[in-house]
Amino acid sequence: MPTFKLDGREIPFEKGDSIIQAARRAGVDIPHYCWHPGLSVAANCRMCLVEMLPPPGRKPLLLDVLEWDAEKEDYVPAKKPKLVPACQQAAGEGMEVASDSSEHVARARAAVQELLLLNHPVDCPICDQAGECRLQDYWLEHQGTKKRMKDEIVHKPKGVVFGPTIVYDAERCIVCTRCVRFCEEVVKDPVLEKRERGNLSEITLAPGRELDHGYTLMTEYVCPVGALTARDFRFKARVWFLRSAQTVCTGCATGCNAFTDFDPRDQTVYRYRPRENMAVNRYWMCDDGMLDYRRIHENRVLEARVRGKKTSFEDALEKARGILAAAPAEQLGVVLSAQHSNEDNFAILRLCRDYLGTGHIYVSGRAQGLGDPVLKHADRNPNTAGVTALCTSTPPKTFSELAKDIHEGRITHVLSLGSYSSDAEKTDALTRLQGLVTLATHEGPLAKHATVVLPTSSWAECDGTFVNAKGMAQESEKAVAPRGHSEPAWRLAGHLARALGFPMAWTKLSQVRKAMAPEAGASVAMISGAEA
Amino acid sequence: MAKALVSLLEKQFPGAVLEAHSQHGDDTVVLDPARWKEVARFLRDSAGMEMLVDLTCVDWQHREPRFDVVAHLHSLSKGQRLRIKARVGDVEGEEAEIDSLTELWGSANWAEREAFDMFGVVFRGHPDLRRILTYPEFVGHALRKDYPADRIQPLVPYREVENIQKLPPFDQHEGMSFGRQTHDFSRGED
Amino acid sequence: MEPLDLDLDHGEIELAAEPMLINVGPSHPAMHGTVRIVMELSGETIERCDVQVGYLHRGFEKMCERGTWTQVFPYVDRCNYVSPMLNNVGFALACEKMLGIEVPERCQWYRMILGELARIADHLTCDGAMVMELGAFTPFLWMVKTREMIWDVLEEETGARLTHSFGRVGGMAAPPTPGFKEHTRAVVDHVRRVLDEVKRLLLGNRIFLDRLEGVGVISPEDAVSLGWTGPALRGAGVAYDVRKASPYLKYGEVEFDVPVGTASDCFDRFMVRMEEMEQSSRIIDQCLERMADEGPINVDDPRVVLPPKDEVYSTIEGTIRHFKIVMEGLKLPAGEVYSYTEGGNGELGFYLVSDGSGTPWRVRIRPPCFFVTGGLERIITGQMVADVVPCFGSLNMIGGECDR
Repeated sequence: MPTFKLDGREIPFEKGDSIIQAARRAGVDIPHYCWHPGLSVAANCRMCLVEMLPPPGRKPLLLDVLEWDAEKEDYVPAKKPKLVPACQQAAGEGMEVASDSSEHVARARAAVQELLLLNHPVDCPICDQAGECRLQDYWLEHQGTKKRMKDEIVHKPKGVVFGPTIVYDAERCIVCTRCVRFCEEVVKDPVLEKRERGNLSEITLAPGRELDHGYTLMTEYVCPVGALTARDFRFKARVWFLRSAQTVCTGCATGCNAFTDFDPRDQTVYRYRPRENMAVNRYWMCDDGMLDYRRIHENRVLEARVRGKKTSFEDALEKARGILAAAPAEQLGVVLSAQHSNEDNFAILRLCRDYLGTGHIYVSGRAQGLGDPVLKHADRNPNTAGVTALCTSTPPKTFSELAKDIHEGRITHVLSLGSYSSDAEKTDALTRLQGLVTLATHEGPLAKHATVVLPTSSWAECDGTFVNAKGMAQESEKAVAPRGHSEPAWRLAGHLARALGFPMAWTKLSQVRKAMAPEAGASVAMISGAEA
Repeated sequence: MAKALVSLLEKQFPGAVLEAHSQHGDDTVVLDPARWKEVARFLRDSAGMEMLVDLTCVDWQHREPRFDVVAHLHSLSKGQRLRIKARVGDVEGEEAEIDSLTELWGSANWAEREAFDMFGVVFRGHPDLRRILTYPEFVGHALRKDYPADRIQPLVPYREVENIQKLPPFDQHEGMSFGRQTHDFSRGED
Repeated sequence: MEPLDLDLDHGEIELAAEPMLINVGPSHPAMHGTVRIVMELSGETIERCDVQVGYLHRGFEKMCERGTWTQVFPYVDRCNYVSPMLNNVGFALACEKMLGIEVPERCQWYRMILGELARIADHLTCDGAMVMELGAFTPFLWMVKTREMIWDVLEEETGARLTHSFGRVGGMAAPPTPGFKEHTRAVVDHVRRVLDEVKRLLLGNRIFLDRLEGVGVISPEDAVSLGWTGPALRGAGVAYDVRKASPYLKYGEVEFDVPVGTASDCFDRFMVRMEEMEQSSRIIDQCLERMADEGPINVDDPRVVLPPKDEVYSTIEGTIRHFKIVMEGLKLPAGEVYSYTEGGNGELGFYLVSDGSGTPWRVRIRPPCFFVTGGLERIITGQMVADVVPCFGSLNMIGGECDR
């Protein structure tokens, strides 16, 4: 691979890479504000300036400058090399670039930092970006001095509502235009634009428009400072108290990789952030997915219920055991959930298909929505492909078919994982069942009509594997502890199995995964092998 | 400062010195735990390290081996210092055993008791390895990273002693009430 | 009670022959800072004993891992709580060693003066308490009165008599007050006078000398092997003082002597401390002379020292600097360091392990009196019960430092 030297270290690069891109791949960070690996190059912040040493045998390109001489108390002519922005300069074989090791670069960075902070409001105590703000980090690392301007800062509009999700603060904005480029290039909706010039520049909306496309929260995510803030997250939590778990978004079948940020002190999830995965979602996530974290806390079933009344877990388990034991195998239906992980579905499948001996397998989940060409998938469930793969030879039937089977009397008892129904019209069929046991995370039709409801942990409360529409199996980490009395579904399946007298003895997730491997792995690999 | 000593150790005990580095003016050698006592004895007898200044552990959770047993040695006559380390223990914190240095230096006695108390590292050959800073019925090892700082220890039942009646501890409603500040001013009939 | 000799043959008296197990402490006036000594006595002589510490264990080292580096200062203060400035200065020096920065000269003199004042306070307390337990109440009163004067100076400077939390990485929390030098000079004069008076009271007293001389003897080799440092080791005859062996701050530039004992008994340890107070006064005099009246106290590094408050409220740079230092903590580079200074009881060491973030990974306080108390068993075995008092007193075990 061709390489160039950065501070004496050989950095390999691919053709077309800029210096900063190649450095990033090698794990070296060159400070930058306006550059983003997923957006075009604007080179307006000038923070990534690096010194390019001249090729051997050539003189460096020096500029005439005036420098303040403290002793003479006057400006004296001096020379300094012309620095190039690392985000714009393409890497070439044999180049020698000095970044941290160059004194001119250090001065340039301090100067850029001073300029960016020149008119910056003293907002840190109330700014949401505090703790993850590049201005703060780079000031400490690269500047460390006070600014030389003695005047009042330029005042601009603050708290401008751009849309239903985003608020803009012009004083904090450094006009890096990342948000402008994002809307134009990724979403193909050029709703933001920069107006005015010089120190009056700010970002504005296209006339008559609001920031209302499906990816507005990404503008907040790309904003390196606190200029764009999400109305959903504003003033809710301080980021240094939050810990991140590496998860997968469960909003749709794209399976964007995310970080779930939660506060370990009160075990509350405060937001999602996108996680880079070039094969799935590159750098982005849609608004629906970003806000999907609310489902971890909203509308949850946290206590066991029998016929709508809260009861103890042991009681509910006993009732559930009774229902399942009494159900004749040919009339027992099992509803898997495209919302739940492979491990959860596998456990239920093992219990019902292999031990209880039923052959009627259905799958349910959230109803279809609208997809878009950027990221969103119309299938609002993260694991449809996984469930299909787990059922190996026979694909599971739909919820509408379940309703039909119940009406025609073929199914009298149902064990359901999850409470969503993919067909809202047909839910009244559930009232005709003799017994319905639901392992529910949220309220929904299958929980409402259930004889016994066992509280189940959501995706954020246990590790799980989800297979997206492309057939890629992705692991999601546990973020918070199981809420209320909920337990992961695979563990509940184990309780039921033991109560029914079956030898399903796993207590740890690793045991479930080991049992699952030969079955699910093969079929999943088959699908992903085609696409990957 | 003790560079010559470090190279002497490397020559004398090939294979025992796994790493050596120098930071902020301190010299450190990382030893193989099986040769811990042997090298320490050499340092005391031949390198003039009369004093074991300190012996403690560092818990690197999620790394295997998990604990660093760190000893600081000082030669008063030569004015030299050396830090010796050994890595023991698996990720769960089990199997953390190393030889005791009590035979070589008296200060190791209490220092190792404290390391055992706080980390659970067992020192083989220690004459009296019991807890020193916490009470005997303490559950867990306090300075391990997976010991939560706000854990509440189980209550220790009174020891059974013949012919002595132990009264139960005071209830919250007993004792001297004037010492208790509350915002609960129930007036009764007024 | 029935007569003892009812079942015995005529002429035979049966006396108990097993050793008696008694418990001294932890709640005992002579057990400075709660220590329990379980002794097996044969008559008055101690056959075996078990010294149990840990009653003041507050989990400092664990607590240090939950904050920032600056938040460790209140914890180290409460270690050796009779000479907290020495702990503060020791920890600040450890962090500065790791960062590779040196504080301005004025701060170095200032730290030395405050440190030596704390050392005098420590020795006054130790010697005073020890002689009080032997029955000499008057010297204790005089010494504590002098200690109050020292604490007046420290209160003026730091705002607190005992738990100053005054040291900071890169300097001190505040500059010296205007009247500092005069006040300190007056106090040091008084210290000298009190030392003189106490010596005249005690050193001619037969009872005092008999109770201390030849009691609690330990050989120098044993003392070194046990990890003893400070006055306990110097009383044993080993001339090791960190200030002379590896000078830090400006100790290399001031003149002072290090008193060393010969007989290695309680009396020598007592006298070493008395003489050390005299030497500390000498050091303070020289420092006061050489400390400038003006100049910076904190090092000029934005990564380490907090900005002035008016800048924090009015400029963005001040806010950012304050924010980064307070919320994220000082970023000490990843690695480890062992830094040692002469504390009140000997070599006070700090073994710091940093992972590069602002939160300490491990803060190990090497307590000098932990190791000294480890040797208590050695020096009281074979002595009489009454000798435990001067032995233990002369070792100066500070519960806060021993147990942390």
